[in-house]
Amino acid sequence: MRAASAEEGLRRRRRAVRLAPYALALPAAALAVVFAYGVVVGVLQGFGIMPSLGMNAFTLDYYAQALARPDFTASIGYSLYLSAVSSAIALAGGVLLAWALTTMRARTAVRMASLQVPILTMHALVALAVAFLFSGSGLVSRLLADPAAQSAAQSAFSVVGDPSGWGIVAVYAWKEIPYVAFCTVTIMMHVSGTLGEAAAMSGASPARSFFSVTLPLCAPAAVQAFVVVAAFSFGSYEVAYLLGPTYPKTLPVLAYMEFQDPDLVNRCYAMALNGITTGVCALTAAVYFIAARVQRRQEGSRG
Amino acid sequence: MARRKGRGASRAAARVLVAVQLAIVVVTLGVMAVWSFADAWPWPQLAPQAWSLRGYAIVFSGSSDGWPSLALSVGIGAASSLVATVAGAMGARAVCCHEWRGKGVFRFATMLPFLIPGTVFAMGVQVAFIRMGLARTVPGVVLAHAIVALPYASALMIDVVRAQGTRLDDAARLLGAGRVATLFQVTIPSLAPGLLSALSMGFIISCSQYFLTLLVGGGKVRTFALAMFPYVAGGDRTIAAAYGVIFMVVTLAVFCVFRLLLRRLSWNADDAVLYE
Repeated sequence: MRAASAEEGLRRRRRAVRLAPYALALPAAALAVVFAYGVVVGVLQGFGIMPSLGMNAFTLDYYAQALARPDFTASIGYSLYLSAVSSAIALAGGVLLAWALTTMRARTAVRMASLQVPILTMHALVALAVAFLFSGSGLVSRLLADPAAQSAAQSAFSVVGDPSGWGIVAVYAWKEIPYVAFCTVTIMMHVSGTLGEAAAMSGASPARSFFSVTLPLCAPAAVQAFVVVAAFSFGSYEVAYLLGPTYPKTLPVLAYMEFQDPDLVNRCYAMALNGITTGVCALTAAVYFIAARVQRRQEGSRG
Repeated sequence: MARRKGRGASRAAARVLVAVQLAIVVVTLGVMAVWSFADAWPWPQLAPQAWSLRGYAIVFSGSSDGWPSLALSVGIGAASSLVATVAGAMGARAVCCHEWRGKGVFRFATMLPFLIPGTVFAMGVQVAFIRMGLARTVPGVVLAHAIVALPYASALMIDVVRAQGTRLDDAARLLGAGRVATLFQVTIPSLAPGLLSALSMGFIISCSQYFLTLLVGGGKVRTFALAMFPYVAGGDRTIAAAYGVIFMVVTLAVFCVFRLLLRRLSWNADDAVLYE
């Protein structure tokens, strides 16, 4: 009798241990499910499935229409260009800034002001400040102004609506260089204080110790931040809406324009554009994961 | 000798770079602050011709909804960062301290909001939330913000939990502490610095959401970012700048409060550097 109940208690405890991780994972999993649900509902609409309107037939028409748009190639090209340039600048600048902070052994206050303050500034506000500085009536245009000029309209350049998109790139660089630096600086300080110091003691030059020891160990953190920045700058709305030209529009701006159309069927069209955005981001992520796995395998075989 | 010189040169270069970065931050935010007090600033003058508090007066006057939207933003930020942090911390314990089927899928799923843009999620989830009765409600916005903050909270908590391990919890249990006592007197205090970092990150992310709040809240849930955006998008520059300055002051103040709490909690811990 007692043996039986002891066994029962043991079994119950074992089951509790087995179920514990699932219980712990539940809240985050629930949030992830809502996220996936939202994305899937959207993607299905792109295939013409909108049960609330009685549309249940799978079709590729909206994708075909989206791809056949005269401005589609320009839009996706513009989005890719902005994202590639912004994230490359963020990666290079972020690693450089992390190196600088590590090398000068920056105090906490300096790190806070150069990294945390930009991180907690809203993107739209950075766009506003960039307009204050570089728009036709901005501070730089005032500094360069010809005293004979009568109005801002005659000034040489303006960041707002410029098709080269350098204002948008400037906003992302301002925001994301500190983000990449933030993601790498902790590990970089740690590595450079331990292994980097050891390399220097063994006679490596500062450059050699940085490129052969510190940088490879920080690369995973930096590249992960780079992927996040690339996906974000490709798919976000505010900055491109505030500073972008009327043509070409970025994909998210184009999708939201269609989404707002009073005709609900246009939503399918918007969602097809969103599906393409998702595809590009998924592709970027897949390349990253495969590269990370290949690298890990190579390192495994080397070690 | 040459080596020492190289080291000195790289340190000088590092100083210059950090100084440039600080200057960029100060100039950008400084221009915004100056505009917020400018009454008349005709082109091509390099300084405003007249100063006033008009921008701030309008933000906080009855016609604009400065105060209520600010309070709403702080409330939504607090709630959503709490949800994301608790979910992220629990998930991190599941990932770091247990072996179970589906762990890889779970980790990938919690990182998804990093990879799929918020605009795609926002437009898709709008219909889903209408069906669930969450569209145009504050709880719906809190849920949406918690979802975009989740990957940040998860990544941070996984780092922290992995560094911490379960040795303190195991010791407490071995010494006879109960489950609840261990949770509140050992686990949560030992993870407190990480939890505070995740909370402040979640708060910042929530406050900065414009597009997601617009779509999920349907314009009915008017947070500070929503109240500010029309001015930023081509309205009155002085008012836009005043909104911006208030946004920065509030988020910086909240951030500083978290930093102070963090310092009090971890000033003597060896791994304080992990959270900076």
